Amino acid sequence: MRKKFRQLSLQAKMSSIFVLANLVVFAVTVILLLGINSMSSEIDKVYQGNLRLNEVSDALMAVQDSMTDYLNSKTSDSLEEFYRNEQTYSQLVQDMSDEVTGATFQRMERSIRHMSEEYLDLVSQTIEAKRGRNVEKYRVRYENATQMYEYINTYIYSLNNEQFRSNSENYSRLSAAFRNFEMVSVIALSIVIVVSVSIVVKLTGEIISPLKDLAVTADEVAGGNFDTELLQVQSEDEIGVVTGAFNQMLISIRQYLESLRESMEIRRSLMEKELLMEAHLKDAQLKYLQAQINPHFLFNTLNAGAQLAMMEGADRTYEYVQNVAEFFRYNVKKSNDIVTVREELELVDHYIYILNVRFSGDIHYGKEIEEDLLDSCMPSMILQPIVENSVNHGIREMNGEGKIRLKVYHVDGDTLGISIRDNGIGMDRDTIEKVLGGNYHEEQSGGGSNGIAMGNIIARLKLFTQNEDVMTILSDGKNQGTEVILYLPIKEREKTDV
Amino acid sequence: MSRTTDRAGRNKGQWIVIGFMAFAIIVISICTVIFRSYVRGFHKVTDREKYDRYYVMITEDRKSDFWQSVYRGAFERGQEENVYVDLLGEHLSQEYTRAELMRIAMSSGVDGIFVESDESDEMSQMIDEAVERGIPVVTLYGDNTHSARCSFVGVGSYNLGREYGRQVLKLASVSESTAPMTVAVLVNAHALNSAQNIVCSGIQDALEQEKIRGPEIELSLITVDDTNTFSVEESIRDIFMNEKLPDIIICLNELSTTCVYQAVVDYNCVGEVAILGYYDTDTILKAIERNVVNATISIDTEQMGAFCVDALQEYYRFGYTSQYFTADVTIIDQNNVGEYLQAQEATE
Repeated sequence: MRKKFRQLSLQAKMSSIFVLANLVVFAVTVILLLGINSMSSEIDKVYQGNLRLNEVSDALMAVQDSMTDYLNSKTSDSLEEFYRNEQTYSQLVQDMSDEVTGATFQRMERSIRHMSEEYLDLVSQTIEAKRGRNVEKYRVRYENATQMYEYINTYIYSLNNEQFRSNSENYSRLSAAFRNFEMVSVIALSIVIVVSVSIVVKLTGEIISPLKDLAVTADEVAGGNFDTELLQVQSEDEIGVVTGAFNQMLISIRQYLESLRESMEIRRSLMEKELLMEAHLKDAQLKYLQAQINPHFLFNTLNAGAQLAMMEGADRTYEYVQNVAEFFRYNVKKSNDIVTVREELELVDHYIYILNVRFSGDIHYGKEIEEDLLDSCMPSMILQPIVENSVNHGIREMNGEGKIRLKVYHVDGDTLGISIRDNGIGMDRDTIEKVLGGNYHEEQSGGGSNGIAMGNIIARLKLFTQNEDVMTILSDGKNQGTEVILYLPIKEREKTDV
Repeated sequence: MSRTTDRAGRNKGQWIVIGFMAFAIIVISICTVIFRSYVRGFHKVTDREKYDRYYVMITEDRKSDFWQSVYRGAFERGQEENVYVDLLGEHLSQEYTRAELMRIAMSSGVDGIFVESDESDEMSQMIDEAVERGIPVVTLYGDNTHSARCSFVGVGSYNLGREYGRQVLKLASVSESTAPMTVAVLVNAHALNSAQNIVCSGIQDALEQEKIRGPEIELSLITVDDTNTFSVEESIRDIFMNEKLPDIIICLNELSTTCVYQAVVDYNCVGEVAILGYYDTDTILKAIERNVVNATISIDTEQMGAFCVDALQEYYRFGYTSQYFTADVTIIDQNNVGEYLQAQEATE
């Protein structure tokens, strides 16, 4: 039955609930009405006994009157009337009780019945005597009958009184009971109505509750949560259909989202591949360019030039080419590597030699070295760019003889200092700060330098020393020269690294 | 998981609701049925018992305690024998004389009549007519010896008279005066009531035969007019209006005892007149306790009533019965009045 109920449409369900509730209320009301009806009819019956007695009394009086009338006038009409009345009365009397019971009424009724029988007997005897014109007899009988009539009347009257008294008592008890029943009925009806209303509320709530769940879930989905739990389809009505459709929709959305995600994934990986390909291409291009300016190729070429110069006996050319070759070889060997101070100094030596050849020995280069520091480690390509800077920015722009003095010395127990001092145009304070802060960009970075900027040097030194305080630049002002001092930890190179 | 428990809970709730509704309907139906049967109960006579026979009791003064007690005795015995005994006239709106009641009883088709009779011819005729109609009659308290009544139930009047005589002698023996003592017996104007005469002769005999010492005793009869409704009381008052009051007044019924007692109190004659009463009503017992009434006769009235039923039952069973039934008589005076008062309180 529950299954059937669940299969009903929403309208049918609602209607059946309301109809059921109303039927229950109706049934109870009908029961109560029937009860009240039967009670009121019982109350109506209370005085029935009295009514019957009144009837008996009237009939008795009619008998007596018609008898008297006949005795007076002896008309056939009155005789007819008498017989009719006698008939009526005797019928009424026949209906009376003839039992001796504990009930006073019934005993009185019995007495009335017996007396009435005797009375009717006397009355007919009287009539008989009258018809027989037996004056003496009918007079006596009439008197007897009248006496009996009075007794019966008294009995009827008394019985009526007795009954009325007891009936009144019954009546008040009945009406009290009736009132009680009314009260009980009202209470019962109210309870039934309250219960049926609560049932209607409960059942409709049950029918509506999947709709509420649906609303909550739909709200969640609208808020973007597609991972919410699927709703249970509890009924097969419209709500069930909508719930099922909603579930289907949710599943479809999830599937769609999943496929969307997958296609995006594929596109992303495709793009990654493309980028990788591009990078490889760039790499290949770079490799190609590098291959073109291969320092080994340059070095070997220069070496071949040096040997040629030596064979031809041009010693200075030989030396010059040899220096240039050494210079490039260092670049090939030591770029981005850890080297010794000695090697860095050699590179500076080669560089200065080359410059002096190019610029006819303009630069006076002097060294002041503490020999025990020569094997300490430092990053490569540090000193040469600094010297290059001193030459390019310090000395080249001044008049007169340029001087560069390089000093390697102990600062304290585990720190060495390398000072490169020129007598060039000097630097102002702003420029110094910019250079030290790494914010200084030379206008022509690719110009005459190797392209390694001061910022790069400072960054590498910081990485090497793990220390912020790696360089100071001192300048006393315009044309007063510049001194760059590096601070490095004293750290002998390990044999394995050589 | 929660859904299934949810559903189980819902099912349970629904069953509770359905059960409750069924319960409500059942309760209402039961209420209706109970109420209807309760209402029907009114129409059914509560005492539906049927009785084999229907006897009526006819007395002159059915409202007095004496007759009520007699009736109670008869009624109770009747219940044992499955006979209903009615005190005729009780439920009627009009007062009838005994003769009229006799006629009504005869016409009502009763199975037996107990009548407080006297020796009048009217009563004899009535009784004879009833017997002729096949209704046996028992004379009660007062006999009608000339009639065809089947039995008489009463007090042994002669013995009663002797008892009164003894009481008078007892009073006389303690009297200090030597003047003759006057004893007045209040008799009803219905001289035909033979019982009174027998009582009187009983008193007379006792006085004559048992007198040993003391003053001379003069016995006289004072007739009390009982022909009209209130005449008894008036006649008794008349006695007290006389100059010469008797020393002892003997009352032969309950009403005269009560009247005399009241008159003695009203006329301030307590102690001057000794009263020998009749029957043991509350009032009379209290009067004895207060020493206004000297002694009274207690008759086993319920026994009397029971004898009436017994007589008729015997008559119906065997066709004849004893001619006389005599109820027990006891004297109540100052010595034993306490017991009777207690007994009466207990029955109340």
